[in-house]
Amino acid sequence: MTDTNLPLTPLSAELTRHGLLRRILRARRWYGADWWMVAIGGAMAAAFVVVGVIPGAFAPHHPQAQAGPRLLAPFEESFGGVMIVLSEDTLTEVTDLAGEDRVPIGIVAGSDSGQALRDEADRISDEARAAGSDLRVRLRINRYETPKELLEALMAGDVRVAAAGSDIAAQGINDHPGIRVAGPITEQSTETFPLGTNQIGQDILSRIIWGTRIAVLVGFVAPIISICIGVPLGLIAGFSGGRVDRLLSVLMDSVYAFPSLILAIAITAVLGPSLLNVIVALGVVYVPTYFRVIRGQTLITKELLHVEAARSLGARSHQILRSFITPNVIPSAVILFSVSIADAILTGAGLSFLGLGLPPDVADWGRDLARGQASITEAWWLVVIPGAMITLIVLSFTLLGEGLVEIFNPKLRDR
Amino acid sequence: MPFPLVFIAIMFGIPLTAAVLYAFLRGGPGLRRYIVARIALTVPMVLILGSLVFLLMRVIPGDPTDSDLFLQMGAEQREQIREDLGLNDPLVIQYWTFLGDIITLDFGDSLTGSERPVLDEIGERFPATMELVIPAAIVALMVGVWTGTAAARRRRSPTDLGLRLLSVAASALPLFWVGLMLQLIFGVALGWAPVSGRIDPIVGIELDRITNLLVVDSVIQGNWEALQSVALHLALPVATIAFALSGTYLRLTRINVIETLQQDYILAARARGVTDRRVIYGYGLKNAMIPVVTIMGLQVAILLGGAVLTETVFSWPGMGRYLIERIFARDFTAVQGGIVVFAFVVAIASLMVDIIYSLVDPRIRL
Repeated sequence: MTDTNLPLTPLSAELTRHGLLRRILRARRWYGADWWMVAIGGAMAAAFVVVGVIPGAFAPHHPQAQAGPRLLAPFEESFGGVMIVLSEDTLTEVTDLAGEDRVPIGIVAGSDSGQALRDEADRISDEARAAGSDLRVRLRINRYETPKELLEALMAGDVRVAAAGSDIAAQGINDHPGIRVAGPITEQSTETFPLGTNQIGQDILSRIIWGTRIAVLVGFVAPIISICIGVPLGLIAGFSGGRVDRLLSVLMDSVYAFPSLILAIAITAVLGPSLLNVIVALGVVYVPTYFRVIRGQTLITKELLHVEAARSLGARSHQILRSFITPNVIPSAVILFSVSIADAILTGAGLSFLGLGLPPDVADWGRDLARGQASITEAWWLVVIPGAMITLIVLSFTLLGEGLVEIFNPKLRDR
Repeated sequence: MPFPLVFIAIMFGIPLTAAVLYAFLRGGPGLRRYIVARIALTVPMVLILGSLVFLLMRVIPGDPTDSDLFLQMGAEQREQIREDLGLNDPLVIQYWTFLGDIITLDFGDSLTGSERPVLDEIGERFPATMELVIPAAIVALMVGVWTGTAAARRRRSPTDLGLRLLSVAASALPLFWVGLMLQLIFGVALGWAPVSGRIDPIVGIELDRITNLLVVDSVIQGNWEALQSVALHLALPVATIAFALSGTYLRLTRINVIETLQQDYILAARARGVTDRRVIYGYGLKNAMIPVVTIMGLQVAILLGGAVLTETVFSWPGMGRYLIERIFARDFTAVQGGIVVFAFVVAIASLMVDIIYSLVDPRIRL
């Protein structure tokens, strides 16, 4: 629980004497590890924010585009496959088939090479159409269960071209004289993916980069909502006291005791899946955190001398609240903000991991992690990478936030 | 009420009653007043949380019978269901019945699956969650307090820095990812522990689910093979939750032990020649534990939230999984009942922690 470390004495006195920025810059009394916690956390957080704001500038592919073959491991060479034909055939590349009517092609059902051949044919046809030519590649696909059946069909003349992986081709040429490898299906399929691809051939790197946007949005907007509700309520409760205070406190304490994730689950379940609803749910969930801290600060500040002086000079309640109390409690809200960014991102990721909250087509780390779990035995990178990213972003904001808390918490600082 | 729920109620009820009785017999008037007030506070807490659930489920626009499940039915049938659920009544009456239902633990029949009473379904699922979170909380507390004290003893040493960084990491690592990584390492790569379910299904057939706490069931039936299987299935999910919780305990214990060791009575003890070990574990840790007990109440919320995620990762048939499954199935009554049960658990757990706290802290016992 991060908020138990929060300052319970007003920071105002120190802040007015030194100024927030000056304190951070001079920071002679930062002890132990805190200065580099803030530095590293701040730098990482800034990097995440930049990537989150302009993911398009960093991502090599569209997050929803099928960029390559399925389930390609990080840096694994993508598998192109080859075309096999009878020896007397003069075919060398897919373009040679253009203009012919419905060439019979054999593939092994569900194989990557079959998919690659179809993609290549579509690509050539699209190019031809764009160039205004009519030389399209029209294929008639015959599907076979095993490579053996495929090669037998080729030998029998049922199909003109067989698409297969290069290992199958090598084996096939050995076993069946009279056939040869015509050439690779496509020449542009040598791209490797630094973080691999997922079950539907999307580039993980691009999805990770676009997922940053969701994390940053959730992390910043949700706490702002909590501040907008929690701070005024805390001020009112702490300042006015009495029945209003008791009512609000019991209400907020009850919500605070309730597991935030389960509350967020309930809210998003009712509101339905959308990014806005996730943000609203997380915003509502963290209202009590702000309420409690601000109320406590207000109670303390209310008793300070300058407030008493203002009151004895005849200042009215709303003036005291606005000019003398609010400026004194705002710094703790700011510090709490930096801590709750991490909380909001973590809870938000949990929500989307559970499949609640975000629409299914959005590139999001929690969502990708849940999808990756289905392939955990065959593709470790689908599980490791999105989780590592969530950890990194949460860690950077936690380091930043906790470092700031320790620096501005006089009670802990001198130890 | 299903027997597993009764069993759990007794399991928690006996120590709670004992603690309350002890406080009344041995404690001063201040403690007595505190405990009465604290027990009384549980009622508004449950009511507020219940009202919150009601607000969420009924007042927000949208209708439980709008889902795909009911759209296939005819308009008359849907109207019948609305009537049965009481959704056609004025909100005030709905609210009143709802509060009554909370008090009598009557959550109605679930709309999907076998359409049994929600309470029966919860009776099956709830013990699974308990079996997960209780060991996890104990392990986390032990590990956290031990490492926290170790860090405090060697303050500003590499051990201290390392443990502090570990505790920061523990709070930054998403719980569900920790679970997945454990699955990947110990389940997929090493094959040491199973990655889903509560018990090997073949062994499970021979085990009667009396309390549905499988550890208890296999012990009272003397089925050691089942006990072994249950323990193996528990290992990874318990480790997942315990890891996430222990970081907080570590941090809190460390800070409080450091603070306590600076007190005058510690200096006095040292001056009298009490050994270092005894000073730290006997004097320091004992007093430092008081704030740690307080935080346990707040940890219950994290524990339950963590249980939802862990149950999803490990296909653990507990309350969290139940809630998520029924949300996707749009099972209105089951979701409502599930959330209310979570509210009950939170209210009772925080009551227990507060009572333990009042007994542990001598300053309240006056």
